[in-house]
Amino acid sequence: MSDLALGYLSFPVLLAMIFLRAPIGLAMLLCGIGGLWLATDGTTVFMARLKSEVYSTFSNYNLSIIPMFLLMGQFATHSGMSRALFRAAEAWLGHRKGGMAMASVGACAGFGAICGSSLATAATMSRVALPELRKYGYAGGFSTATLAAGGTLGILIPPSVILVIYAILTEQNIAKLFAAAFIPGILAALGYMLTIAIYVRLYPDQAGTKARAPYAERLKALGAVWPVLLVFALVVGGIYRGWFTPTEGAAVGAFGTALIALFSRSLNWSVLRESLTETATGTGLVFFIVLGAAFYNGFLALSQVPQELSAWVTGQGFSPWTVMVMILIFYLLLGCLMDSLSMILLTIPIFWPVISALDFGMTTEELAIWFGIMVLIVVEVGLITPPVGMNLFIINGMDRETPITATYRAVMFFVGSDVLRVILLLLFPAITLVFI
Amino acid sequence: MIHWAIDRLAKLMALLGGLVLCLLVGVVCISVSGRELADLAHAGSLGGLGDWLLAKGLGPILGDFELVEAGIAFAIFAFLPLTQLSGAHANVDVFTRPMGPRVNNALATFWSLAMLAVMVLITWRLYEGMQDKIRYRETTYLIQFPIWWAYAASLAAAVAASIVSLYCAAMRLTGARQG
Repeated sequence: MSDLALGYLSFPVLLAMIFLRAPIGLAMLLCGIGGLWLATDGTTVFMARLKSEVYSTFSNYNLSIIPMFLLMGQFATHSGMSRALFRAAEAWLGHRKGGMAMASVGACAGFGAICGSSLATAATMSRVALPELRKYGYAGGFSTATLAAGGTLGILIPPSVILVIYAILTEQNIAKLFAAAFIPGILAALGYMLTIAIYVRLYPDQAGTKARAPYAERLKALGAVWPVLLVFALVVGGIYRGWFTPTEGAAVGAFGTALIALFSRSLNWSVLRESLTETATGTGLVFFIVLGAAFYNGFLALSQVPQELSAWVTGQGFSPWTVMVMILIFYLLLGCLMDSLSMILLTIPIFWPVISALDFGMTTEELAIWFGIMVLIVVEVGLITPPVGMNLFIINGMDRETPITATYRAVMFFVGSDVLRVILLLLFPAITLVFI
Repeated sequence: MIHWAIDRLAKLMALLGGLVLCLLVGVVCISVSGRELADLAHAGSLGGLGDWLLAKGLGPILGDFELVEAGIAFAIFAFLPLTQLSGAHANVDVFTRPMGPRVNNALATFWSLAMLAVMVLITWRLYEGMQDKIRYRETTYLIQFPIWWAYAASLAAAVAASIVSLYCAAMRLTGARQG
């Protein structure tokens, strides 16, 4: 069998393994090793690669940003900042129609600025906001849907673990990707708030009311969130301005959030131990997939599949926009099944050569950044798309009284807002590329 | 007894790795502040204090990224046992959920065996890789510390990951762990 045929054959084999519940990293690693074995007619190549490549993947300086961001997220989770952010957002927005839900979205956006993961943002904010929403008479499904959607802001608003991976895969500048994610992230938060405003006018019985907070109280609540702004400005600003490398920025951020947690008196020995073990499993999960992807992509590159596929798509004479839309729809569907990180690691080495060979009238760098942000948004939509979106299960599981179907119904409005935003950003790439 | 020991081993490794990660965060922060302060001192913004600090050797930590690379490799190897033991590895269970407990247990057992095989293979190759680094006396570029030290630390963690994988596979095979 030719290497190319072997490469194409590896897709269905890999998918079958994944759908039969194989740990995704393991499945990719096995396919990579098996593929290298068959393609090079022997064990020499993959045995030699295993000798150095596992260590070099784990010791990669650029990738070391990931455990540091995860640690930062853990400290942020325990720093009491989620509560402070919610208090501030609630003081300013709470009295409006659906204001408490809007406040939840705002607080999620704020928390996303110091946490790089969606599930962590959704789970942390829910612990604070869900009881409050229910207390003020917000319907269960509406509350859980709001928080599940708000959680997706965690990954979109920089820092973002997935963008780091994308930057490394496509050899792009992390700072520029972070800058490009900023406006789409703000648009997402505003879009969700608008969605809430429309939703509560359609279903007025789903939201309660809360008294207007006096301005003194509002300013006081706002004053309590300055550490978040400071850490965000230092980390993202510092990386963007070139004061330090992304890894250094992540270290500074982890240190900063640790200080916040320390000063809020919430960092004791048991919290530290929990933060470290959570960081451990989070990091172990990510790096095992990264390792699998390194071997699988090594095999794919050898088999020439990405080049052949790219040449084939270009040769068909499809319009670039058709290809783009097809790929985004593919991500939307796959995003309902698989976690975002595995999907990015698995597909970007195949799709990026295809996209980069097409002419969208931009430079390769602009195209890489725009495509990355589009993919990021679309895979995050998968996290809240019924019936399988992962955020939905996590948040719904935190509110025992609400049936999952109620969450499904309400979240469709947020998915609608996401789809509109995707179309907007697709039609006007300039929105994403304004800071580049 | 064995459950307790394995649980301890995995958590201990995770904490060790976490500790190393925290140390690296500290090293990087010190290095960055050293560099930025030295830049200010060179520009003369700190006056006499700046000159004094520069004379005392103010600046970034030499080869800080080499420390990060060595430390982070150990940390990640050390995180693998707990990731495996707590079943944190990402998978897709949408399609297998309707297949019932027997099929699911069989699949989980099969994958735990595959995981064991891969972990042992990785550990063995890491050992061979370490032998190479010892043989060729490879050191890092700036601080010149032998790379095999970092390999040896990672190897210890990889052995722990293999032991935990063996335990997980054994628990699956004997049916002590289900679901």
